[in-house]
Amino acid sequence: MKSERSWWRSPWLSIRAQIGLGAIFAAAAVPKILDPPAFAHMIYNYRLLPGSAVNAAALVLPWIEIWVGAALILGFWKRTAAWISGAMLLLFVGALTVNLVRGNPVNCGCFDLHAKDRPKAELLADMRWTIVRDAAILLLVAQVLSVNRKERRIGP
Amino acid sequence: MVRLWQAAAVIGAAIFCAFLSNRAAGPERRLPWVGDYPDARTVPVLLSAAAPTAVPSASRPPGVPGASTNEYPPHPDRPWVAISGDQALSLQGQGIPFLDARRTAVYLEGHIAGARSLPIWESTVDDGIKKLYEEGYDVNAPLVVYCSGGDCEDSHMLAERLHRFGFNNALVYTGGFPDWEKRGLPVEKGAPR
Repeated sequence: MKSERSWWRSPWLSIRAQIGLGAIFAAAAVPKILDPPAFAHMIYNYRLLPGSAVNAAALVLPWIEIWVGAALILGFWKRTAAWISGAMLLLFVGALTVNLVRGNPVNCGCFDLHAKDRPKAELLADMRWTIVRDAAILLLVAQVLSVNRKERRIGP
Repeated sequence: MVRLWQAAAVIGAAIFCAFLSNRAAGPERRLPWVGDYPDARTVPVLLSAAAPTAVPSASRPPGVPGASTNEYPPHPDRPWVAISGDQALSLQGQGIPFLDARRTAVYLEGHIAGARSLPIWESTVDDGIKKLYEEGYDVNAPLVVYCSGGDCEDSHMLAERLHRFGFNNALVYTGGFPDWEKRGLPVEKGAPR
């Protein structure tokens, strides 16, 4: 039990989880920053925000992602960055789940903003897969948070 | 415990960067901070309420060569009515303007011959609509609007925007560019001549 815990909190794993998580967020942000209208369109398709709020979300969310990514990769404000990344992932999972329940197929808009039109069934299957993928990324968040909690406890 | 001041700093920095990057972006990439779209949460209701309706025909079925634009009376009570590919072809033959609601980059890759680009997701859309006014286009005359067919709503959104600007006769070609291409009808690439 103790060895399992030490493996989960090993510095080897921690640095990789932290950089991996940061890289994922930075990579997701770049296409959105380069083409805000395409991202606004994606957000609109989720049908969760009022039309007036779509553009502001499309402009600001990618920059939050890039700052979170930078903090994790460069190693500053790690715990805060991990919390924000976790909150954003939960938000994405929630948005996908709501649309799955509604039967409203959406392109994820996570990394590719110019996906071609695809059949509804294929899009819905992709949404399920994206939820699983986001859950896996949440494991990285948990790892980063658990290690940083440990560091805080033994710190001066 | 999350340090709230750090979280606030991240969000503040994000807003600041978003403001700067949006200011520096070209017109095709810029967004107004407050979106001017139909409420995204109610769009399916709006679309079904304004479900594609056959265009009233005065004397002969639309799409017949030589059909008069009188067959497409203005409809100030609703933002758009739907038309088929045959009707779109007939209207093109009569010189009715076609408006492409897709993104500029997609328009440049290929569009209906003679169509004008009015990308609903770009900041240039309102200027494009104002230009129609400046050119003295009759607000009661037909305008054909299209996008990518299928589930694409861009043409409906553009028709709604036109309606708010006072244009009373937007005709949405629901099959859109894919249908036009499939029919082997004339297309153009690049910027309009």
